[in-house]
Amino acid sequence: MHIPDGYLGPYTYIAFWIIMIPIWYYAGKKVSTELRSRQVPLLALSAAFSFVIMMFNVPIPGGSTGHAVGAAIIGIVLGPWAAVITISVALVLQALMFGDGGITAVAANCFNMGVVMPFVAYYAYKLISGNSEITSPIRIIASAIAGYLSLTMAATFTGIEFGIQPLLHHTAAGVPLYMPYPLSITVPAMVLEHVLGFSILEALITALIFAYIQKTDTTILYGETSEEQKNKMRRAVPIEV
Amino acid sequence: MIPDWMKEVDIGPCRCSAIYHGKKGFVGKTIDGILSFLEEAFISDSFSRRNGFLQSLDPRAKLVSILALIFATSLIGDLRLLIFVYMLTLLFSYLSKIDVLFFIKRVWLFIPIFAGIIAIPMIFNIFFPGDPLISLVYLGPGAHLGPFSLPDSIYITRQGVNNAVIFTMRVATCVSAVVLLYLTTPQNVLFKSLRTVGVPKIYVFTLEMTYRYIFLLMNLVREIYVAKKARTIRSRSMFEEQKWVGGRIGYTLIRSLDMSEKVHAAMMSRGYNGDVKIMQEFKMRNRDYISVVIAISMSVVLVLISQNIIR
Repeated sequence: MHIPDGYLGPYTYIAFWIIMIPIWYYAGKKVSTELRSRQVPLLALSAAFSFVIMMFNVPIPGGSTGHAVGAAIIGIVLGPWAAVITISVALVLQALMFGDGGITAVAANCFNMGVVMPFVAYYAYKLISGNSEITSPIRIIASAIAGYLSLTMAATFTGIEFGIQPLLHHTAAGVPLYMPYPLSITVPAMVLEHVLGFSILEALITALIFAYIQKTDTTILYGETSEEQKNKMRRAVPIEV
Repeated sequence: MIPDWMKEVDIGPCRCSAIYHGKKGFVGKTIDGILSFLEEAFISDSFSRRNGFLQSLDPRAKLVSILALIFATSLIGDLRLLIFVYMLTLLFSYLSKIDVLFFIKRVWLFIPIFAGIIAIPMIFNIFFPGDPLISLVYLGPGAHLGPFSLPDSIYITRQGVNNAVIFTMRVATCVSAVVLLYLTTPQNVLFKSLRTVGVPKIYVFTLEMTYRYIFLLMNLVREIYVAKKARTIRSRSMFEEQKWVGGRIGYTLIRSLDMSEKVHAAMMSRGYNGDVKIMQEFKMRNRDYISVVIAISMSVVLVLISQNIIR
């Protein structure tokens, strides 16, 4: 899922920078009014968490292991806008410190995993769970579907980004310069791989994490304004950005 | 006074990860993954404190220069130019006292997995037609694989090989440049230098804090898995194990959010009012200006050549 440098041509990655800058700006504004002075520690710790979540290996059938992307559960727990910043920070760190994902492609990666995933996950979860009790099993199913849909959507977007490369960038003789395969190969390849594999794992893990949170501490969920949450807000002071 | 032996910088990467015996299950793989992550971080840190050329440059100058070079590389379509830039990164790794072999290994370790999947099919005439270079098999007319019809004979094409090499080299050169940047810059300095490319102060601060807490959380995860390993006699059903992992991730999430409240309270009690102050300790010298000018003008020339504006 992490697109490296050299896969996307300049038109595509510059377009994603242009798309992402206002999204980051708006997300920053929104988060700083919502979280006030809690913003920095909360975002830093949850970004560290979204970095670490990929270290958790899970056994999967066939004797192998896999791991979750985790953007879906972060979207559900923190709300989509805080998730945009959280995941972007984790992705920038991965690109800068560990060479995972390209520098030019940071914006495209942030769009796929940091915008598409948490938004799809959050709204799918909201829509399905509706007004159900916070502890109802419907919400576990909702989080599983949210995990499944969000990763599949993110993979579809990645496939489309790859597939438009030969249309946008080729030499006069028609030789592709970047990702060489057309949409008819990249989209099915990315989507099938996820629909039949990774998305199922993401759904399972998202649901298991959600079930654990339901049992343990539901006050951390975004939009559940409990006494606990209000107390936390009372300690924070507004800040200017 | 600090004695000299304490100020000595450890040169050379260390192998500090433990050797794991037996077949690795998901528990062993996680513990190993975390240890090699920590090892990686230690190694980069030891390189960034050496007394080499890139380490001596102002981090802002280095960041801007390397970003310009990556941007230019992403536009190059000519193999000779790509090899030139790649050789340049090797030269700079040598000048910065990084083991050139270690550097090459570090870069190419990432490449084969992804670029290979994409580049290898490119060389055959199945996807892209071209002049035959090496003939492989003759299938005869009307051959097909499932729904896809195949050409009469399968061969490796000259254009295919050329494109695949250009594609892989471009990815490798970009990765080399980034690896060079973080191997020669201590993290805290690297994040601060992001101010120059317009990252707001509050995110520079968030990045710094994230980096620090990653290690704390990594250690938490490692301890969870070690504790499980120490107490496991017989493994349970796969679903039970998956449930365990899900629960542990949930626990880590609750722990990190709870920790963020405590960190916030601690910051507030020490006078944090939401205003971030970052200590500016950089000083641009003449050599920094010169290297920025050289790097940017070289990038411009590379872009102009690759766009056929100058030949």
